[in-house]
Amino acid sequence: MVSEKGSLFYEVYEVFSKKTDTSALQHQFSLLAPNQELAFIMAKENFFRREQVADIWVVKREHIKRMSQEEKEALNHLEKNYRETKGYGYLKKKWRQYEQEQLTEKDIMGGGEG
Amino acid sequence: MESLEYRECLIELIYQLADDDFLLAYRGSEWLGLAPHIEEDVAFASISQDLMGHAALYYGLLEDLGEGKVDKLTHDRSPEQFRNAILVELPNGTGTYLEDPSYDWAFTVVRNYFYTLSKKIRLDSIKKASYEPLQQIVQKISIEMSYHMMHWEVWFNQLINSTPEARRRMEEAVKTVIEELGGVFSYGRFGDRMVRLSLIESEEVLKQRWITYLNKEVAKEPLTMKQGNGRNGVHTIHLANALDTLSEVYKSVPTAEW
Amino acid sequence: MEISTNERMDHFMNRINDGEKIEADDWMPDDYREALIRLISMHGISEIMGALPEKEWVPKAPTVYRKLAIMAKVQDEMGHGQLLLRVAEDLMEPLGKNRDDIMKDLFSGKLKFHNVFHMKAPTWGDAGVIAWLVDGAAIISQTMMLGTSYGPYGRALKRICAEEVFHAQHGESIIMSLAEGTKEQRALLQDSINRWWSSLLMFFGPRTNAETGHSNQDKNMRYKLRTKTNEQLRQEFLTKYVPRVWALGLTIPDPTLRFDAESSEWKYQQPDWEEFKKIVTGHGPKSKERLALRVQSYEMNSWVREALGTCRISKVTR
Repeated sequence: MVSEKGSLFYEVYEVFSKKTDTSALQHQFSLLAPNQELAFIMAKENFFRREQVADIWVVKREHIKRMSQEEKEALNHLEKNYRETKGYGYLKKKWRQYEQEQLTEKDIMGGGEG
Repeated sequence: MESLEYRECLIELIYQLADDDFLLAYRGSEWLGLAPHIEEDVAFASISQDLMGHAALYYGLLEDLGEGKVDKLTHDRSPEQFRNAILVELPNGTGTYLEDPSYDWAFTVVRNYFYTLSKKIRLDSIKKASYEPLQQIVQKISIEMSYHMMHWEVWFNQLINSTPEARRRMEEAVKTVIEELGGVFSYGRFGDRMVRLSLIESEEVLKQRWITYLNKEVAKEPLTMKQGNGRNGVHTIHLANALDTLSEVYKSVPTAEW
Repeated sequence: MEISTNERMDHFMNRINDGEKIEADDWMPDDYREALIRLISMHGISEIMGALPEKEWVPKAPTVYRKLAIMAKVQDEMGHGQLLLRVAEDLMEPLGKNRDDIMKDLFSGKLKFHNVFHMKAPTWGDAGVIAWLVDGAAIISQTMMLGTSYGPYGRALKRICAEEVFHAQHGESIIMSLAEGTKEQRALLQDSINRWWSSLLMFFGPRTNAETGHSNQDKNMRYKLRTKTNEQLRQEFLTKYVPRVWALGLTIPDPTLRFDAESSEWKYQQPDWEEFKKIVTGHGPKSKERLALRVQSYEMNSWVREALGTCRISKVTR
């Protein structure tokens, strides 16, 4: 009876944060709370009382689709060289024949910075 | 600094700010390990630390003004020298924090919420005041006020809007807190001079801001100080008991460094 | 496709032996789950119970700085309890249990907590010795488990260990002031060390099953939940702290205590393991009072959990 009532108080919320305005969101930990607002006000002091934090998200765990171990097997795949740079390694030699250096990743990504 | 009168009023005001935060931090620390929820225990402990930290800043300023060392001010003054409002010295419930504590979470939420709001209003008023070192400290402390407000406001609104049982407990607590809340707004016998010297705005102006913010039937009762005015050194036995606990080790070896 | 339990078990043990981390939603043998629940819920609840003896000294701490520091430390203990209980609760979820059940197991005596938190802490010296030596002992056993095979436990421990460094220094700072202080202060410190010594030896648990009749050391090592034995940990503790206690001109209440160069091992007087059994089963000097405090906190606040756990509070705007 009491335990059934209590279980609504003990909902799991996952806590995510950004260290600075520009950093990516990172999972931190989880906590128990009866609702989103309380989860939010407790998250700050439970997980960021020493470290710097710029933003905090709380998400009710049941709203997250998680993977079982079997489902994680769906993440495996064979190597597909044609969509990796390592599928194009021979080009380096080719360009040498034309007395040119192959453009490196840095050259390609470097934009206009020279 | 200006006149002797100015100095006297300034020191009086800082004692009021310092002692309020110090005593409420103590009451908060008694809850350690006993809050309604582990996650809340951790959150509340941060607020109590913040309050104690704020008190330490004020006492530091008093030390600079020649009032004596911070640890002497906190551990070696008699109850009638304390300037805190009676509201913050009242116990969390029956029993002590060591034995048979029967603490009232509703009272704690209401006391902290109402106190935090009044503190914020006081600090905002002091920000315009003329004594610069105090303004600087108040600016610093204000940084931590938004979390305190958010935290207590959520608890207050959620509990008062939940079950009839919770609502009854909360309303009871509101009544108890309002009875002494007037003492938080009072500046004591130096009040008129503090206002005349522009250290802070008048009690009435600040009280009105508090009532306007809450803007509901919560604030319908008049804010009183039923058990006396702590700003004038009038206190309950609870303060004396609290100070005995707070200074037990400090006084055990008078010459020691800790 | 149907996978047999044996195949699952082999795969599981291979993962463990390869140093892979097991996650909450992964398949695991019931035995592993049980071992984790037992270990982590005891660890978690010990942190919660451990807040109580130190909390006694929070308001009494002799300076404002010490008041702040010990408040932060007790807060961390509660925070560590939070992290660990969350890990245990996720493991218990498939069994239909939650935090409420953990608390009830504590109250009924089914869930035990560390021997040290059953003891009295009657002086400020104890606040120092708990933070210095009890936490020192805890750091040794917690860092040993950082490499645990269970991922969530490892991540909780990582957070915990980062904070323990502050705890250790907070403790060192208190005992340093006492050691360098007046005659009375030194006496206070010596008295605390004397009082805590056998509890500290007991903290790591018995050397073998022989002392107390049972121990989960072997299973926990097979599952890579831990990597060192109780005795190895105790020896590390002695190596780290005995010379420091002596260097401060303090004594340890064991005349036989010495480092044996030949066996490269500390020789010490065994604590009373019968007494240990009594303490951890709830018959220590403060067991009843501390448990009573927890029960009282649980009961006096039940209306809060009921209020927010029964009705859905939608976002309330002022």
